[in-house]
Amino acid sequence: MTALNWQKELSREGHRVVFSGQPFTMHCHHYNMNLQKTLEDTLGEEGVQLLFQSAEESNYNIFRHLIDQYNQIKTTKSKLEMAATLFQYCGMGVIHFQTTGPSGGRIVSPSSHHVTGWLAKYGRRHTPGCHFTRGWIAGIMATTYNRPLGEYIVEETSCKMMREPECVFNVTTHKT
Amino acid sequence: MTIDGNKIIHAVMEGSRIREAKGIIPLFGVYLSIFSTQYYNRLSFDFEIKMGKSRTAESESLLIQAAQECGYATFHGIRNSWEWEKIVQPMIENKEDQIEGFIAVAVAFGWGDLEVKKLVPDEKLVIRVGDSYEASGYLDRYDPAGSGKCYMLRGVAGAFMDLIYGEDYPDGCFAFTAEEPFCRAKGDVYCEFIARKSSG
Ligand SMILES: [Zn+2]
Ligand SMILES: [Zn+2]
Repeated sequence: MTALNWQKELSREGHRVVFSGQPFTMHCHHYNMNLQKTLEDTLGEEGVQLLFQSAEESNYNIFRHLIDQYNQIKTTKSKLEMAATLFQYCGMGVIHFQTTGPSGGRIVSPSSHHVTGWLAKYGRRHTPGCHFTRGWIAGIMATTYNRPLGEYIVEETSCKMMREPECVFNVTTHKT
Repeated sequence: MTIDGNKIIHAVMEGSRIREAKGIIPLFGVYLSIFSTQYYNRLSFDFEIKMGKSRTAESESLLIQAAQECGYATFHGIRNSWEWEKIVQPMIENKEDQIEGFIAVAVAFGWGDLEVKKLVPDEKLVIRVGDSYEASGYLDRYDPAGSGKCYMLRGVAGAFMDLIYGEDYPDGCFAFTAEEPFCRAKGDVYCEFIARKSSG
């Protein structure tokens, strides 16, 4: 089990929701999916990139901050465990870092907020749709392996939004 | 009876700690996520930038529409949930109290310190927000704006009126339209949203 103390980390400062001292907010699947659809429909690939980069950058900052707070978490294994716990606590779903190293890896998500939300709202897709999760993973990888933002390429090779059994992410670096 | 916002905040904070085995938070009839405001702000404001100056009106209205549609579906789900029935409904005496209930949920979600300044039934709603995360996020990243930047709250203000005074769900969305005459992102001391009946 990881040491992440959710009860302590998620709190309020008056009307604000804060997580580990950083401003957070709650939104439901209607808003999250509608934003994604708006960006994809209006900007195409550029919108997809923006979803990825926004998730990557914000999650990089969250996770960097968290790792600095919990300095007893030193090994990559324990960092990735904490990341999976964070994913779950944020209501994003379940994620397994199956095989990962500094040069990339394979990550699987058997269930997620985005998959459940997308299927409930818009139904089956014909292309992989977990752009948020791809960016989220890129942010975690960069923090865990001390690499700069933008280092990791995350492709989704199978997606539950297409009614495939799980979402599978293949991670490589720009260098490989 | 007045709405006790603290009760609602408490229910949301407790509910947000409960997630099913799939790592998903079902609360108030929706699936909830808890994430950084930086994500939402970058998404909205970079979307505007990528759309370019010639499409400013279009990007603004797309972001407001996305929020209004969602606010409409979300708060419809919320007021039909068992949590609402149990926690909020006992505090509601009339139609107008529902807006106070919605506002309390929005505050609980961390959208800002929303406050109803004026409500003229079936006509006009004025909401004031001293600390909207959209305005704060805008000022963190960019120079002061020339117009209001709180698209999410603007859509939601319209949706609240749609749900109370528009046609029955799901036909009442966009019956009202909100403006944001004052916004901290453009140097005002607070953000203010005015929802009125849509023209045409
Ligand atoms: Zn997927
Ligand atoms: Zn504003």
